[in-house]
Order: sequence, then structure tokens, then C-alpha cells
Amino acid sequence: MALPSHISSSAANPSSARTPVYALVGNPNCGKSTLFNALTGLKQKVGNYPGVTVEKKVGTAYSQHGQPITVIDLPGAYSLAARSPDEAVTRDVLLGRRADTAQPDRILCIIDATNLERNLYLVHQILDLGRPVLLVVNMMDLAAAAGTTVDVARLEQELGIPVIACEAVNGRGLIELKLAMSRADLPLARHAWAIPAAIAPAVTELQASLIAHDRKAPLVARAEALLLLTDQDSVRVAGSTPLHARTGEILRTWQQRWEGEGTDWAGTLVNSRYDAIGRIAAEVLLQTGETGPTASDQIDAVVTHPVWGWLVLGAVMTLLFLSIFTLAEYPMNVIDAQIAHLADGVKSAMPPGDLRDLLTSGAIAGVGGVIIFLPQILILFFFIGLLESTGYMARAAFIMDRLMARVGLNGKSFIPLLSSYACAIPGIMATRTIEDQKDRLVTILVAPLMSCSARLPVYLLMMAALVPGDRVPLLTKVGIMILMYALGTVGAFGFAWLFKRTLLKGAPPLMIMELPPYRLPRVKDVALHMLERGWLFLRRAGTIILGISIVLWFLSAYPKAPDGTTDQQQLAQSFAGRAGHLLEPAIRPLGFDWQIGIGLITSFAAREVFVSTMAVVFNAEAKDDDTTPLRQAMLAAQWPDGRALFTPLVCFTLMIFYVFAMQCISTIAVVRRETNGWKWPLFQTAYMTGTAWILSFIVYQGGTALGF
Amino acid sequence: MSLPPSTLPHRLPLCQLPAGSVGRVCELKGDPQFCQRVREMGFGESACVTKVSGTGTILCSVNGNRIALSHGAAQNILVDEIVRR
Repeated sequence: MALPSHISSSAANPSSARTPVYALVGNPNCGKSTLFNALTGLKQKVGNYPGVTVEKKVGTAYSQHGQPITVIDLPGAYSLAARSPDEAVTRDVLLGRRADTAQPDRILCIIDATNLERNLYLVHQILDLGRPVLLVVNMMDLAAAAGTTVDVARLEQELGIPVIACEAVNGRGLIELKLAMSRADLPLARHAWAIPAAIAPAVTELQASLIAHDRKAPLVARAEALLLLTDQDSVRVAGSTPLHARTGEILRTWQQRWEGEGTDWAGTLVNSRYDAIGRIAAEVLLQTGETGPTASDQIDAVVTHPVWGWLVLGAVMTLLFLSIFTLAEYPMNVIDAQIAHLADGVKSAMPPGDLRDLLTSGAIAGVGGVIIFLPQILILFFFIGLLESTGYMARAAFIMDRLMARVGLNGKSFIPLLSSYACAIPGIMATRTIEDQKDRLVTILVAPLMSCSARLPVYLLMMAALVPGDRVPLLTKVGIMILMYALGTVGAFGFAWLFKRTLLKGAPPLMIMELPPYRLPRVKDVALHMLERGWLFLRRAGTIILGISIVLWFLSAYPKAPDGTTDQQQLAQSFAGRAGHLLEPAIRPLGFDWQIGIGLITSFAAREVFVSTMAVVFNAEAKDDDTTPLRQAMLAAQWPDGRALFTPLVCFTLMIFYVFAMQCISTIAVVRRETNGWKWPLFQTAYMTGTAWILSFIVYQGGTALGF
Repeated sequence: MSLPPSTLPHRLPLCQLPAGSVGRVCELKGDPQFCQRVREMGFGESACVTKVSGTGTILCSVNGNRIALSHGAAQNILVDEIVRR
């Protein structure tokens, strides 16, 4: 086929000043982000489960001669006929349909050597685009371990494009790749693929119409024509212009004709591609050793077993919470002592006055109250990182599939829910891998019910008040903690069930999900990700929480009461106190007073702000010259009639409230973006906070009636 | 153990294939979008599937990939049993 002039010139004329743009594409979990990080030196998140990357990421690599090369990391896709929003990102960038990204000059295809045929399917579609393609065969080491090897030279011969063997994980093959990437001219594929005779005339006709009426470039038009036949939704997604009426008419005419003849056109197209790939694979795949059940198969026999699988999942969770309690104790004490030391230092160095109070009771108390939980946050992220890196994530989804089917979702929805244990925001982003729009929405709506890391400080503070000292066995604490996490999870499932039966009706979707092979955890990646999240936590403490603490200090210190009033009276008549009093009638039935009310208001920004708020509120009452630990200050707090405020029942009720309440502005913002409007985030906030209130009411009133 | 050559292969949905057995996909039923993706993942007609485990959600291996399918999905994939364990 003759090449259109604009394509051959873009391939042959790289001397233009513009840096070349490469799109990095491949199947899910074949190592795109690992290669992207190796090329650009960036630290994109990587993990051993499909769907880690759900949005395009741009970075700059440098050739061996220091020339910049732009690389776009795209979400993994099995096919250009996208089924889920993350795959649609990849398709739209490659076809030049996105307004924010020009069509990439060149395509860097990465394939997994252990999985050649299925990976070549996407490559086969991409070669249709007529862009210069570089093929990277990744995971050669794993293929060798599995007893096969890929004849790279032969593959290069068959496809007519440069093929480079690579191990992205340890950087092998990277220099050869960079050299190839900076080549001035890349050959175009000798893409000899005969479209099945029954379908070829339709492709030609559609292509002509797409060129004439839809103004597509000739080769893109051919690829689009093939896509139209395998994916009828491909032109209706956001960001693309609707089909010209004439093109649509041609498509319908052909489809009617085929339906009359009983031709399965989509199936024929896919199967003929696989036939072509099968012929290539037979040439390049070499068997080097015995293939028996792999280690992954043996582990899976236990981990995905209907009984053992649940026990393994339970053991993993117990181990996680045990380490949160035991390993974190020492570093927490150290941080606590340092903060107290700092506050005392400031107190002795400065004369009494508003500025000193602002620093000690506002800034240090507020930020310190939150920072103390850093060790636990780090442990939580380390564990989640381990699960993601080994490949266990996808197994957990597998185990949960049956349970998820009962509530009308499938196991795929469980991966976003699992990520939400760390933070609802990446969890909500991860719902982009879900194909069905309604299922995706249900998953987004329930994801923030999974207890995220920001709830951890609240839970831990309440547990410290609830079960003071070391009198209570460790396992009880772990048990209460698991109960909180279980409550959130059960709540998420319950609401998913409810939504699937009322608002967003639909049959449970069919799941088809690849389980990646197990890998040893990459400790460096896990540690890096953990430190990154830890840094994010500290940054939040240093910005949002510091800001809120300072503002809150002002609001609780002003307007000034006349001299001679107690600290308690001062707080009560301050701005913050008035706001808390305003809220008190609504939360009194839950056993919360206006001081807790202040915390509920401020923690709407982020849940851990509750802890810093309590620190500011109760420090404001403390005597000037001693820094009492927050736990003791809280235990000393009383209702006006002298009853203790933080009784075990109130602490427990507060934990229940935080399990369910939607207290996170960032999550609301992400839900608004992912659902394109305010309707769903507002609904979500209302139903979650409403549930939190009702359940807290039941627990508190029930507990009181039972005499707790 | 292979089936004796005289018997015709036994056709059944993938969910009923016993664990450890190998089947050849002979028919895909149901939603065309679903069939499309199953084919694109290398699960098309004539692919050899080894059932690894499961009766509800099932785990099987195709060309060395481990693929999890929900029960409903496995019901839509008809296979000829070619090796029984």
C-alpha cells in the first residue's frame, strides 16, 4: 500500500526542532510503567496487578546523545476496541482524538515475552495505524524461566520493525532501546495482513467514507473502519466527534447484509488476526525446557481455594493490624516526646501571650497530634505495597468475586475497593478499569466507605481513650480495629447491593480478569511508594492541617472574653465555640457535645483534622505551663453537669460515625471530576453522612439503654 | 487420561469442566461485546483451555495466562473436553 505523504515525511524527517513524541502502549501489567520509569527517571506507581495506570502520564527521556524524547505512558489495553474508560484513554490518544494530546509521532509497543500471542494482538491492531512502531519484548528472563524464548531477530524479520529484547525491571536492554528511539528514521511495518474476504469490501468502503466525509487521514481511516466493525461504541465516547451520516449509513447497510447472511463479522475479524499472529508465533517462539505447573499455579491452588483462600486473607489482615499496633509503638513514643520537648522549648523561650499560645496550642498541638500517627501510616502503606507488588491484589479480587456477585458487582470492583483502604482517591481513579458505567458508578459511591488511612489517626485516638493503658490485651485492640474495617466493608457491600437494586439497576456483570504471575516483592518500589505516601501525609500536616490549626486557634481564642473568665468559658463564647453550639442540638442524641462538634465541622476538610482539632480545643483549656498528652486532656473533659464526656460508649460511637461519614473534600472533588457533575458527589455525601448519623444514634441510644 | 478415540468429545460449559481437564473452546454465547473481549484475550474458538480451579468463580489457563472468569461468563463458553483428568 502506498503511504500517504504526511506519514512518510514524519517518519523520515526527524530533524525538525520538535522533540519526538513516543506513546508507550501494551497489555495491562506487561511492565509499561516500569519501562517508563526506567526511561524517564520518574517514579510512576508500579504494581503487579492490571490497572495500576489509568490516566496518561508524560515524561522526558534522554537519548544516548542527550537529546530529549517525550514519552507518554498510557493505561494498559488488550485491544483498541476499548471496553473501559482507561482503555478508551489509550485508544483516543493513539487515534489523535484527544484535544489535549496531539497524535504521537511514534509508538513504543511493549509486549510480555511470557504471553506472546495475546500481546501481539494489540500490536497487530497498532501496526494498522501506519505509524512508526518500536517493539520491546519485555520479561525475557521470566519467559526463560518458564521454558520458552522469543527469537527477537526472527520477530523483527516477520514484522519489519525494530524489535528489542528488554528486562525493564533491571534495566537490561535499555541502552539499545534508547539508541533505537533516537534513530532518525524508523521503518514502517511490512504489515501484510489480509482482511477476510467477506469483510474487505466493507472496510474499503468505510475507509473511503471516513476519508471523504469524516476527514480522517487514510491509514487512521482504515484503522477506524476496522474498529467500527469490532466496537460499535468506539465513536460515541466523549471527546470524539460523531460519525458522518454517510459513514453511519454504510456501516448499517453492511451490518444488515451480514446479519441476513449469518456472518459474525466481529468474530471473523478477531479470529483472522489471531490466525495471522499464530503463524508469526509459531516462527518465533522456541521451546527451551519443560513446562509444568509453575510456582504461581501451586500457590494459587492454596490462595484461590474456596476455604484456604479465606483463611489466607484473614491471616493477612490480622498480621497487618498486629504490626500497626506493635511495631509503631516505639517510634510513636519518640515522636510524642520530641513534640512535647518542642512545645516546652517554645514556652520557656517566649513570654506568655497570644503569639506563644498560637504556636504551642495552635500550630504545635494541631500538627503534632497528627504527625504522631506517621509510623502507622507508613506500616499500612508498606503492607498495601507488598500486596500490590506480589500479585496478591488480583487474588483477593478473585476470592471476593462470589461475594461481590451477590451484591450485583464483580470481583473487578474489589480492586478499587481494596485500594480505598489506603485512600479513596486512587481507589476511585482505579474504577476506570470497570467496563460497565453503572457498576463503575456504584463502586465510586461505596469506595469511601472502606476505612482509609486518614481514619486511622481518629480510630487510634478513640481507641486510646476507649481502652486506656496497657490493661487491655493487644488482641482486643486488634479485634476492635478489624471490626471498624469490617463495618466499613460490610457497609460498602450493603450499599452496593441497595444501589444495584434501586438507583442503578443492572445484571451482575460478567468478569474476565487476568491474574498476574506471583513475583517477589520489589522492596525498593514498595519502600519508595511508602515513603512517598508518608511524605504526602507530612506535607498535608505541614500545610492543610497547620493552616486549619492556626485558623482554629484564632477562632477559639477570639472574640476575647472579659478577664477573669475560665478557659472553658473563653472557648464556649469564641467563634469556634459558637459554631459547635449551633451544631450541638443535631449531635447531642449521639452523645457528642459542642466541642466534638467543632471537630466534626473542621474534619470535613479531611478526617485526620479531627485529631488536630481535638488537640487545639483541649489544649486551649489546659493550664498554661504544662503540655498534657491529648488522651489525658480528653479523658478529663466533662459535660457541664460533671459527667465525663469521652465515655467508652461515646468513643465507640465516634468511631462508628467516622466509619460512615463522608468527611473528605478531596474525595468529593475527585468524584465530581470522575462523574462529570455535582449530582453524585452531593448524593454520596448525603447518604454517607446520613447513615453515619443514624447508626451512631442507634449505637449511642442503644448502648445507653443497655447501661454502658 | 485421553478419551478413547471412538467417543465424540463431550461438549459442556466451561464452568462444568472438571478441574485439571483440558477443553477446546467451540462456541461463545451471549452478549457480543463480551464475546469480542473473550476472543481478543486469546479465548476464541479453537483455543485450548485448562481449568485450574473453582466451581463458582473459575480460574483457567489459556496459553499460559491465568484468567479468572465469573460463573456467568464461564457458562457462556462452551468447550469440547479433550483431556480428562
